[in-house]
Amino acid sequence: MTPILELKNITKAFGPVKVLTGVNFDLRPGEVHALMGENGAGKSTMIRIAAGDHRAEEGEIRLDGDVRRFAGPREAQAEGIIVVHQELLLFPALSVAENVFLGHQPKTAAGLVDWGRMRREARDLLDRLDCPNLDVDQKVSRLSVADRQRVEIARALSRNARVLIMDEPTAALAEADVKRLLEVVRRLRSEGVAIVYVSHRMNEIFEIADRVTVLRDGVSVGTKPIAEVTEASLVSMMVGRDIHQLFPKEDIPRGEKRLELRSVSLAGVVEDISFDLHAGEILGIAGLVGSGRTELAQTIFGVTPATSGEILIDGKPQKIASVREAIDAGIAYVPEDRGTHGIIRAQPLRENVSMAILDRLTKFSVVDTGREQSLASDAIKRFSIRARDARQRVGQLSGGNQQKVVLAKWLATDPKILILDEPTRGVDVGAKTEIHRLMGDLAKKGLAILMISSELPEVLGMSDRVLVMREGRLSAIVDRKDASPAAVGAAMMQGRREPARAGAAR
Amino acid sequence: MTAMTRILIRHEFILGILFVIVLFAMASQNDRFLTTANLLNQARLMTEVGLIAIPMTFVIVTGGIDLSVGSILGLCAILLGVFWQNLGLPLPAAIGLSLAAGTAAGFANGLIVTRFRVPPLIATLATLALYRGLAEGISQARSVRGYPDWFAVLGRGDFLGIPTQLWLFALVAAVGIFVLRFTTFGRTTYAIGNNEAAAEFSGLPVVRTKLLIYTASGFISALAAIVFVSRVSTTRSDMGSGIELEVITAVVLGGTSIFGGRGMVIGTLIGLCLMQILQNGLSLSGVRGDGTTVVIGAVLIVAVLISNLLSRFSSD
Ligand SMILES: Nc1ncnc2c1ncn2[C@@H]1O[C@H](COP(=O)(O)OP(=O)(O)OP(=O)(O)O)[C@@H](O)[C@H]1O
Ligand SMILES: [Mg+2]
Repeated sequence: MTPILELKNITKAFGPVKVLTGVNFDLRPGEVHALMGENGAGKSTMIRIAAGDHRAEEGEIRLDGDVRRFAGPREAQAEGIIVVHQELLLFPALSVAENVFLGHQPKTAAGLVDWGRMRREARDLLDRLDCPNLDVDQKVSRLSVADRQRVEIARALSRNARVLIMDEPTAALAEADVKRLLEVVRRLRSEGVAIVYVSHRMNEIFEIADRVTVLRDGVSVGTKPIAEVTEASLVSMMVGRDIHQLFPKEDIPRGEKRLELRSVSLAGVVEDISFDLHAGEILGIAGLVGSGRTELAQTIFGVTPATSGEILIDGKPQKIASVREAIDAGIAYVPEDRGTHGIIRAQPLRENVSMAILDRLTKFSVVDTGREQSLASDAIKRFSIRARDARQRVGQLSGGNQQKVVLAKWLATDPKILILDEPTRGVDVGAKTEIHRLMGDLAKKGLAILMISSELPEVLGMSDRVLVMREGRLSAIVDRKDASPAAVGAAMMQGRREPARAGAAR
Repeated sequence: MTAMTRILIRHEFILGILFVIVLFAMASQNDRFLTTANLLNQARLMTEVGLIAIPMTFVIVTGGIDLSVGSILGLCAILLGVFWQNLGLPLPAAIGLSLAAGTAAGFANGLIVTRFRVPPLIATLATLALYRGLAEGISQARSVRGYPDWFAVLGRGDFLGIPTQLWLFALVAAVGIFVLRFTTFGRTTYAIGNNEAAAEFSGLPVVRTKLLIYTASGFISALAAIVFVSRVSTTRSDMGSGIELEVITAVVLGGTSIFGGRGMVIGTLIGLCLMQILQNGLSLSGVRGDGTTVVIGAVLIVAVLISNLLSRFSSD
């Protein structure tokens, strides 16, 4: 069978940095082909080349066996090659239907936009994706991440995708939403769409993929049918060594009380939350997307100050009315949405890493660039961030490396209390274990850690206690020894009427 | 990409070359152009626009805009005359009060933008009308003349052979360069323009920084008013109308992105000089005022086009 899409011997460099060297990849109709590799291995770059966003220096792209050169993404789209990007690229102020048909709206005979048809067809597409309760007139800015992604996929389908490329589609999704997404992928496959699926999550790969290709340092290490690989063999293909321990959780004696919440509320969003967090402890927060986990974290961090209740730090009541006050009180927050809250893409790595402690790096309010530079070089070494140098713009780094920059930025504040909101989102297996180990080290040094994660295994594997949230309230606090998937899952779902209809994302 | 090529394709560098070319072109057209006397006089004439362009660079780097600067200039000019002549205050006191009024006007802009979250374009469009209206109401279409001789030194005198107000301008520009380039305040300004939410999440003082920038814009506009009044030794309520467009043109020509996050005071200075010698050179060669405007518009478009083209090579 001729592959529908084939990349042969692709080489690509950004300036002096070679990102891809002689990469081969082929995609057959009606298959799900997983693409795996460490952060910065070149997955997104390979995809961009296939989609006409970047031009390769060497190599060829074949479509149905014919060599093609795409001058830009529009040409690739016209051939039915559609990408759902790692960073969703929707227009928040436009409606769902407008986003789906942006750039190729159905027209009336008079050449005007045919609104009726556009809304109807958007409706049909969304029904095909099994989301009957997503309103086509809703503004995209009011949708949850999962729903936004459905809109992206609908948009791909509206262009009659023959090749659908999904770059880490599940990185931002909660478990239930992942299931629905995989359903959709299966359905598209059975309709004959060829799918490239990038993910760092092993279980998804084994559930959905037919074949898998691994990239390492810009070289394709191999392509195998999924039946011929195991989790361990994939990992060693990706990182070139074996990783033994998945959740390196150590037992650390609980220190004194660092943070205490006494019936803290943010009117209408989170209600009546009380818990305490000790030095050396990792407290996991589980819950569905929209259960108020992020909102709670941002309340503690002073982004949306609490409307009632009390926050105590080291036993003393502390007023936290702004982010500045939270940082000064020793709190750091690694946000969930790194693109909008974590990094400044247009600015160099150096300036991003120093951003939260700028006031400590100054002499007479002049930034001490020498110290800033060494801070950044240390961060690059400590977190093994793949960057050209500290002057590289953060927007040019791969997704996982951007996440490491955000971590470095917040650890630079030398916090007593560290709030991590989806800390390993979009991070590869190797780096994920590294981050987990780092969390352990930090806890050992006496940090109190609050970790939000949508990955249940991560929460269960890393936490001393698990705090479960549901609809803005605390539904349970489970000790490590009692924390089974069933117990935590039940507390997450209890009494929910309508499944997986997440609240609006910030 | 090497550091050298990175410098070569900077907007500021291209603009510098453009400036030199225009300088020589004008000089070859007219032998009255490239004389010390003419150049110094041109520098004197551009001081008011130049002063305001410094804080305007900050405003635009944050992704905002301040359209009310011309009206603040007019208002402060009128207030100076009224305080001095009608209220009989000593001139230094009148100057101080007028500066205070301009600062307050800028602070009001800042408050509207930060506290009430009105987009800067709309907020300052409203205060543009408001402040100009105030100026006209106060002046009642009368002008104030007869300022004492010592006051004229600022606008028409020299110090060490260089126009007095040029020293003032150099000082303000130096402070602007320093603050934007080297301080936490400058860093915060860029961060706001590039990603305001991330700046807030990093604990940077977003609101205070914006407030200060708009306030400074008001203060410097008042300062420009004093220089202006001293130079023409009369006060009228329509002073400075339309100056905001010249200021914004200079800043944008200087490579500051109107979307925020990018720009340097040096660029603004080059943009300003380029505009001034174009105006002067063309008028010396007998081109009428509207012709000059067309040329400046064309130069603006060309400069922005070239730098867009080149930044495509530098981005990846
Ligand atoms: N526009 C660019 N300019 C310079 N370097 C770039 C650019 N885009 C990507 N790179 C570099 O290319 C390398 C590969 O990046 P890519 O985004 O393809 O990685 P990835 O495999 O998708 O990683 P992740 O899993 O973290 O998303 C990285 O080291 C990155 O810094
Ligand atoms: Mg990627």
